Amino acid sequence: MCETCGCDNDGFKIHDPQHIHDHNHSHGDEHHHPDDHSHQRVINLNLDILSGNNLTAAMNRRFLEGRKALCLNMVSSPGSGKTTILEKTINHLIASRKLYVIEGDQQSLIDTDRIANTGATALQINTGSGCHLDAQMIESALNKLEIESNSVLFIENVGNLVCPALFDLGEYKRVIVISVTEGEDKPLKYPYIFESSHLCLVNKSDLLPYVDFRTEQLIKNARVVNPDLEFISLSAKTGEGMQFWYEWILRQVDLATITDRSFDKKKLSGI
Amino acid sequence: MHEFSLASEVLKIAQREAEKNMVRSVSEITIEVGNISGVEVETLKSALGLISEGSILENACLNIVSIKGRGICLNCELEFEMNQRIDTCPKCNSFPSEIRGGNEFRVVSLLTEEE
Repeated sequence: MCETCGCDNDGFKIHDPQHIHDHNHSHGDEHHHPDDHSHQRVINLNLDILSGNNLTAAMNRRFLEGRKALCLNMVSSPGSGKTTILEKTINHLIASRKLYVIEGDQQSLIDTDRIANTGATALQINTGSGCHLDAQMIESALNKLEIESNSVLFIENVGNLVCPALFDLGEYKRVIVISVTEGEDKPLKYPYIFESSHLCLVNKSDLLPYVDFRTEQLIKNARVVNPDLEFISLSAKTGEGMQFWYEWILRQVDLATITDRSFDKKKLSGI
Repeated sequence: MHEFSLASEVLKIAQREAEKNMVRSVSEITIEVGNISGVEVETLKSALGLISEGSILENACLNIVSIKGRGICLNCELEFEMNQRIDTCPKCNSFPSEIRGGNEFRVVSLLTEEE
């Protein structure tokens, strides 16, 4: 609204980018606006607030696709056993391919030291006060890691079931780890992380006789938000069920590296 | 507390657009937040209040438009309002539903002051 004369009393005046100020005075007033009269203008954006993160994530994804590298984003609450699962997984896979791990923690190098002992290349990101990894952090980590082709990159996200859900990192698949000591109602309490994941690893299955955890109930709860979620029950400690997880990873390697883009190219060239 | 990261994305967008449009200050920013988007509005408000100090948004009014969640039941095709991501169909109690609204999280517009 023009504050001098109130000539646009329908509310805020929307000007075009060239700022053509059209007051449409029909009353023939002889008034003058003061020299320091400031003009208001609405800039319409309709811009997704996560668009910056999503763009970087898309670039990370294409970079990894170009290297034929499989990237898995591992999310969970603290203490579900992500690092132990990764240690065992690396021991199993390291002979056949190059493996990388990006570790996200608020502080310390504890997990990186554990992973480095397995022979995988590990890089720690300390998020400080941050509660999740974002695509920019992964972009700078990728610049340092010099990823080889036909490799697997694991991202161990910050232990948190809330914040990492909203941030695409550029991974091929997202893996949620839940342990049987956490309770089967977690998918209903933290639906976003279960909705955005592809695979759910139900860890610490060796403790099932001692806790009131029904795996079928967890699956039922998770399918409320994500009917396509896959499940593998395992114990990183005893090794039970780990074979199914290794087989799943190798299937993803195949899927991630045989992406056929010839259809896109045909479309682009108008054939 | 990812709202701090989200607030800094909002500030980045406002700074970039203000610079691009050569405006001296922003007097109002309008943000759309879907009520099943996973964004906590009160926390976002506090975060924006803190990080906007000394920035282009320092004196801006924050106008938050809340968008209701809407789902379509995949079983009986009923369209219903969702207040939580895990709401099931009120008629047949089935799930999942196709989300048709409520995931929004956008900067809609800036009201700017210029010379």
